Amino acid sequence: MAYKHFEAIEKHAGLLGVLIAIMVSFGGLAEITPLFMEAHSIKAPPNVHPYDALRLMGRDVYVQNGCYLCHSQMIRALRFETERYGHYSTAEESVYDRPFQWGSKRTGPDLARVGGKYSDDWQRMHLMNPRQLVPLSNMPGFPWLAKIKIDGADVQARMRTLRRLGDPYTDAQIAAAPAAVAGKTEMDALIAYLQGLGIDNEPTPAVAGSAAVGAAAAGNAPAGTGGTP
Amino acid sequence: MSNGWSLWVMFLVVLNLGISLFLFLWGPRAKIPTQPDGTTGHVWAHGVLREGMHRLPRWWLLFSASMFAVAFIYLYLFPGFGNHKGALGWTSHGQLARAVAANDAKLDPLMARFRLYSVEQLSGDPDALQMGKVLFEDNCAACHQRSGKGNTALGAPNLTDSDWLYGGTGKDIATSIHDGRNGVMPPWASLGEDNVDNLVQYVLSLSGAPHDAAKAAAGKPLFATCAACHGAGGKGNQGIGAPNLTDHIWLYGGTVADIHKTIHDGRQGHMPTWSPRLTDDQIHVVAAYVYHLSHTTDAGSQQDRR
Repeated sequence: MAYKHFEAIEKHAGLLGVLIAIMVSFGGLAEITPLFMEAHSIKAPPNVHPYDALRLMGRDVYVQNGCYLCHSQMIRALRFETERYGHYSTAEESVYDRPFQWGSKRTGPDLARVGGKYSDDWQRMHLMNPRQLVPLSNMPGFPWLAKIKIDGADVQARMRTLRRLGDPYTDAQIAAAPAAVAGKTEMDALIAYLQGLGIDNEPTPAVAGSAAVGAAAAGNAPAGTGGTP
Repeated sequence: MSNGWSLWVMFLVVLNLGISLFLFLWGPRAKIPTQPDGTTGHVWAHGVLREGMHRLPRWWLLFSASMFAVAFIYLYLFPGFGNHKGALGWTSHGQLARAVAANDAKLDPLMARFRLYSVEQLSGDPDALQMGKVLFEDNCAACHQRSGKGNTALGAPNLTDSDWLYGGTGKDIATSIHDGRNGVMPPWASLGEDNVDNLVQYVLSLSGAPHDAAKAAAGKPLFATCAACHGAGGKGNQGIGAPNLTDHIWLYGGTVADIHKTIHDGRQGHMPTWSPRLTDDQIHVVAAYVYHLSHTTDAGSQQDRR
């Protein structure tokens, strides 16, 4: 290379821009592409199951109402997070989340393991009007969710679509879906979803985040913490 | 990461560093044609500003060179070059485990001391109260409020008074936290609207609150059903968490409308079990803080909100 090549780059803004873009893209190509392409190789551990009909609707209500705009669902491997929220999140836990709800915007607390932390009544009152329970909360209320009934056929369509994408729903599960959501509102679905978050799918404590988390994973307490239906 | 992707990452790292290094080494050596006046001939502002020709400053060269050194040292020590784990063997999970161990080491002597005392004794220990307050606000305040005064809309009991649903000894409090509690009051709408109204008046009369004496008298025989849990005198039963109805403390509110709703629709109180989230040591400390709330004269003046 001689000076004329250097001069060509310097004097042609378009070429300069393209070459800058190539150099900058190296970081993304190295960090993102391998994870992106290998995501399908992550298999669900035995204690992680596809959402049941009501929770599946609850998850969609969560996405529809933009809960992810303030709440993440990813506990980072940092002591102050594992101490507060529990064992750090792993990729295997989210295989049935389409799209995953990890998020990075944390106006409210992380919800990855919020299941069972509060009672169903608490969740209901909190979703109707958070300030009934937390006087200085800046979370909006979602009272209309209690008025919207869930359509059973709609749930079935969602389950069939997810099955096409690879989620192992059985015919029996899909057939039973309308009965499972009969008479339920979007509020009920969202509460069922929230109360299931982190329950029963904590990773085995190979490297327990903290003593509290170790106890949580060992006990795993699916029965006690689920909240009375 | 599979070997293929590992090679891909290595390739990109080499390419990126290679191009940068090449430019760093070649750029300053490139022969740039100069004008007789020593400038490059590039002019701005009608020749007022001319681009001169100077060597790069030494500090800039050294600084850039050191950046390459840092990059190579980093890739040697830390994960980054494909599947190379790094000489230090650093992982985020390892760092977390070390942070947890360091924190535990710091707290262990304190926890060991706390374990020597009962909840009651610990409720006078400033260190325990400081830790208990933080844990309480993180975990309990969502229902019981920061002040511990509870929430009648939810049925979360006031923890600053001397009235206890499941007993107020340190052991009782620790059990409530460890295992959670489920309070169930069945709905009595089946008794009929009149009977429910009469029962409301009778329940009001138990605590000496203003009530309709005639209706209360009519409701009295019906209370036999309620007595199964609340006791014949309405004093409650801590064994099953049935509230005392003869005091002025109301779990779900003490207005006629509140009591009517309680009797008519029943109530379901649910305190989550905290053993999966808090260690036994932490529960011990929180119990001491809760015990302190109802056994201190200034509990009533605790800030409700900050």
